[in-house]
Amino acid sequence: MPGQKRRVSLKYCGSCNPLIDLSRIGQVLPAAISQETDLLFVSAEETNIDTIIILCGCPRACGNKETIRARALRCIVVAGESVDAVPVAEKDISTAIIKKLKPK
Amino acid sequence: MMCGDEYRESLRRLKPEVYYLGEKIESVADHPAFIPHVNSVALTYDLARAPEFEELLTTKSHLTGEKINFFTHVHHSCHDLVRKVKSLRALGQQTGSCFARCVGHDALNAIYSVTYDLGKKNGTEYHQRLVNLLKEVQAKDLFLSGAMTDPKGDRSLSPSQQKDPDQHVHIVARKQDGIVVRGAKAHITGAVNAHGHLVMPTTSLKEADQDFAVCCYVPIDTPGVIHIFGRQTNDDRKCSGCLIDQGNPEYGIVGGEALIVFEDVFVPWEHVFMCGEYDFAFDLVERFATAHRQNYGGCKTGLADVLTGATYALAEVQGTVGASHVRDKLVEMVHLAETLYCCSIACSCQGYALPAGNFMADPLLANVTKLNVTRHVYELARLAQDIAGGMLATMPSESDWKNTSVGKYVDKYLKGVADVPAETRMRLLRLIEGMTCGTALVESMHGAGSPQAQKIMLMRRANWEHKKRLAQKLSGTGESRHD
Ligand SMILES: Cc1cc2nc3c(=O)[nH]c(=O)nc-3n(C[C@H](O)[C@H](O)[C@H](O)COP(=O)(O)OP(=O)(O)OC[C@H]3O[C@@H](n4cnc5c(N)ncnc54)[C@H](O)[C@@H]3O)c2cc1C
Repeated sequence: MPGQKRRVSLKYCGSCNPLIDLSRIGQVLPAAISQETDLLFVSAEETNIDTIIILCGCPRACGNKETIRARALRCIVVAGESVDAVPVAEKDISTAIIKKLKPK
Repeated sequence: MMCGDEYRESLRRLKPEVYYLGEKIESVADHPAFIPHVNSVALTYDLARAPEFEELLTTKSHLTGEKINFFTHVHHSCHDLVRKVKSLRALGQQTGSCFARCVGHDALNAIYSVTYDLGKKNGTEYHQRLVNLLKEVQAKDLFLSGAMTDPKGDRSLSPSQQKDPDQHVHIVARKQDGIVVRGAKAHITGAVNAHGHLVMPTTSLKEADQDFAVCCYVPIDTPGVIHIFGRQTNDDRKCSGCLIDQGNPEYGIVGGEALIVFEDVFVPWEHVFMCGEYDFAFDLVERFATAHRQNYGGCKTGLADVLTGATYALAEVQGTVGASHVRDKLVEMVHLAETLYCCSIACSCQGYALPAGNFMADPLLANVTKLNVTRHVYELARLAQDIAGGMLATMPSESDWKNTSVGKYVDKYLKGVADVPAETRMRLLRLIEGMTCGTALVESMHGAGSPQAQKIMLMRRANWEHKKRLAQKLSGTGESRHD
């Protein structure tokens, strides 16, 4: 809907032995999302989520499961150094996600 | 679910009888000897509420459907078993120490299944009682210790053969409203900062040992329950105000173990889960041991991650990290640790359902896991100490480093590479010292049972006949010989 912000949320895999610094990415993302005029960062417990970012520490991607995906219309999966199965260096992951969140 | 501070407050409300260094302790949550252990357990509460760890450390109760801390969960799939291992690794990485909650968790799972089997055979109410307790544990997010190991006296004698029957916890009276137990449990992790104890028999029992076949729940401040806290290597550093010298001041080393004395303790029937059924003692011991041995490639791998990281960082500070033998030893540390992890994951994946519906890891593989821990953790420590150098054992104290006369010498001569302060090297050395010297190592040897206990289980579970048949078939010998 024009004028309405798209609701974006974040869910972690569980962080058992992450290959990337999940906490740091998880801290950077909400701030970066808040800077985008058409995006609103919300808790993963809320409803009507447009996009859920599933932050997984390794390619096993334990967080990428139906119960989590079903919470939003769309999801972006980070699995170690990849975003939606495309290799991305750790330092560029937040930027890659923000790029994906922006309308084409 | 409680948070860490609520857990600390819950301890302050209890008044257990606790002794340490000859003194009676007023508040475990506020005494420097116990604070690191309390912090470590508190983290199991805090991280369950942290978004990063929530997926691992929380789940839905199969009894109520409510969200619960994973440490109060009864496993209902191999996925649950794997999750336990992963959560232990994660917590090991965050604490670099023991966080104590796994023992009571494993005891709950073992008792859950054995009471069910008991009920099926004897029509007992034990299972329903355990379910009631489990609901309370889940709702209040309680931390229970798992108290299995008896002092045991003369190891060559069974419980009923001992000169002093109190060497094993036993029933001294059966009353209308409950039972009275006497004896002690030794080495119990988290005993002084738990909310209560799950008491289990320590070994398989025979008919003559009926009174030793007792499994029950005892709240920590029950009259007659006395806790005598054990000393740890360098524990005086905890009380001296030295932070660097403690190595891991926030979470300490090992779980904080105590001797628990049961001096004619009354246990109401609602908290009794086995009372004389000696023929079920073996199942309980085996299921608890399997669950507990399954863990060790989880938590110890988390600790190994910290130890390897400290060793790598120290090698950088000491200018040795480029040496090929140092790199080889660091790689060897990773290999040893990940082998343990492989074992824990494997025994979890090969787990199966018990009649009660809950899942247990594969016992053979769980015992292999723990047997490897009794070796690999020592080898990890040896490699870390090799790379660390002798300063691990001879380093001047933090107080001397801070001293106005000699501090400058300590600072000057403890430096490694020029651009890193001596304090960095000191801190890393102390962390490695705490993780590899003394108490921490013994836990890997005897915690969850001494190596021979695992070998006995391997002997029992090895499927010898099948192995022989395979060999006979291929060699053309024995029964399967081809004519
Ligand atoms: C840090 C730490 C934490 C622990 N936490 C807990 C806990 O939370 N809950 C709990 O219940 N227990 C706990 N334990 C206890 C642990 O399970 C025991 O230490 C272990 O089972 C060995 O028992 P033990 O110490 O009495 O040694 P022993 O059983 O005396 O073993 C010493 C040696 O004697 C051998 N031996 C023993 N009996 C015989 C025999 N009959 N014949 C031949 N050889 C024998 C053993 O194989 C071993 O080599 C903990 C132990 C440690 C060190």
